[in-house]
Amino acid sequence: MKRVVLTYIRAIDAMNYRIGRVAMYLLFVLIGVLLWSIFMRAMSYSFEGFIPAGWTIEIAKFLLVAYFIVGGPYSMQLGANVRMDLFYGGWSPKQKAWMDAITILFLAFYLGVVLNGAASSLAYALGAHYKLGAWEFFGMLIGSFFTGGFDAAAEHLGRFEATRTWKLPLWPIKLTIALGVILMLLQASSEFLKDLLRIRGEEI
Amino acid sequence: MSYELIALLMFSGMMLMMLTGQRVFGAIGFVGSMAGLTLGWPGGSEIPFTSIMKLMQWYSLVSLPMFIFMGYVLAESKIADDLYKMFHVWMGGTSGGLAIGTILLMVLISAMNGLSVAGMAIGATIALPELLKRNYDKIMVTGVIQAGSSLGILVPPSVVLVLYALIARAPVGQLWLAGIIPGLMMATMFIIYIYVRCRIQPHLGPTLSDEERGQYTRADKIRLLRAGLLPIAIFMIMMVPFVMGLTSLVEASAVGALAAFFAAVFKGRMTREVFEVSVRQTLAITCMFLWIIAAALAFGAIFDGLGAVKAIEALFTEKLGLSPWMILIVMQLSFLIMGTFLDDTAMLVIVAPLYVPLVGALGFDLVWYGVLYTITTQIAYMTPPFGYNLFLMRAMAPPEISLRDIYQSIIPFALVMVLALALVMIFPQLALWLPGYVYGN
Repeated sequence: MKRVVLTYIRAIDAMNYRIGRVAMYLLFVLIGVLLWSIFMRAMSYSFEGFIPAGWTIEIAKFLLVAYFIVGGPYSMQLGANVRMDLFYGGWSPKQKAWMDAITILFLAFYLGVVLNGAASSLAYALGAHYKLGAWEFFGMLIGSFFTGGFDAAAEHLGRFEATRTWKLPLWPIKLTIALGVILMLLQASSEFLKDLLRIRGEEI
Repeated sequence: MSYELIALLMFSGMMLMMLTGQRVFGAIGFVGSMAGLTLGWPGGSEIPFTSIMKLMQWYSLVSLPMFIFMGYVLAESKIADDLYKMFHVWMGGTSGGLAIGTILLMVLISAMNGLSVAGMAIGATIALPELLKRNYDKIMVTGVIQAGSSLGILVPPSVVLVLYALIARAPVGQLWLAGIIPGLMMATMFIIYIYVRCRIQPHLGPTLSDEERGQYTRADKIRLLRAGLLPIAIFMIMMVPFVMGLTSLVEASAVGALAAFFAAVFKGRMTREVFEVSVRQTLAITCMFLWIIAAALAFGAIFDGLGAVKAIEALFTEKLGLSPWMILIVMQLSFLIMGTFLDDTAMLVIVAPLYVPLVGALGFDLVWYGVLYTITTQIAYMTPPFGYNLFLMRAMAPPEISLRDIYQSIIPFALVMVLALALVMIFPQLALWLPGYVYGN
């Protein structure tokens, strides 16, 4: 049993580590986008025919959200989240593990509510019919993908929701948020199991 | 249950959850989403998610990772140690001179980054050991570094003022300019305090020995001044195009991040390790901030729906019958109290939106109030028992400095800051003159 738990913990941690390391470099993509925006504006001042790249604003917003949502699990591994350590700071590792094992459930609850909201918003962004619940819609989408391939799945999709100014579709960022929150939940489950092992006094 | 009671329950619930030492964003997010589910409002259960979408619409937040990256590059690459040396050599002859030099160092560091953490890290790792070696009083030195680092968010660029600007819907450029004079004034007040104190008690800040001062010729001294060019260059590259309206805030922050990066490269300090730590910590700290903001926005949206703003307004104006100035003072006091046990970002996103509309309705200037807010929160984070800066200082300071020393050290500086706060309250022009002048208002 312990072996299974340890394998699970290691697998989740390794996956989120790799994904987080990739997300980490989105910082430079973000810088690149902003520099492009400065460059294009400077060109438009100097030459005819150049227009400032307005799309950079929306892309930069998307990138920031992807950066912190997808990088979130890795930041949990790094222990970056602030805690009020007035009492917590003075506890023994075992006491901390007890408290963490309980409080991580509150965190998971919050993430679960976020995920549920993300799912229904994603379904809307893909143009789902109002009558269906979000999870039913995804069930149907995936079901028909396996029976009939892309074309069958695409039939369920409606009009895509898009941003107001540049008409960029919103579903990619909503999908990113949903997947990122799932990764956060997996990381939370890994932390929970680690706390349980610590309570039993086992080495991790 | 009345809405006021629910709001009160949410707030105290959040405070209680904080005491368990769990991740701050989990505590806030849980209370927010629980309320969202149980209130039964249409769309209530989706508020935690829609808050993330709302966060995405706050374009200025894109500058956050840039400023964090800038701060880490400066702190990790130790390009600030030249600067420290400059002040060390130039100020060492005066009694208390190294402490005064440290405050000046902090002013320059503040002009290169937007958080107080970088100043604290640089102060604790570069200045603190040197000053202790020169027999400076440890309590004095600890206080100097904490006070100096608080300038970080008052002198532009300032991340706290970016967040405040989002909440108050005030222009960031004006807020940043508004912080300059109060920031420099506060630095001057710190320096006067150190100078006078060391005049009266010279053992607190001994002058450098003659032989150490003899090591440097006049030419050396002049050469050291060049170190001061770097922060001025970084500040100018970032701020001039921004104030002239050529770059937006977010673009300016990217320019600043790149400028700091290349400064470290040219100085030969951008090692693999510095790069790795800076990039990794930027992700870690950005995630921490943005998750707290996301959770706090959800909490705040429900708070708003409960009519907390109206309730507070009614409490202050009708039930207590306070005059506008009394309300302002009560607000600052409540910030001081809450700041001792609430995370700064969370306080900004949850509490500031409750007060800002009232401040506006009372006819006060929101740019000016941003400066007051910033100074107040800095005092709150310095003051025991639960100041966040205190925790940071404890984590970074060498072992011979006890928690007691840290607590004791901030008292005189906190008083100086209260005095600065009072001055800005009484003379709003200290904050408002510069933005008015530059933007021709």
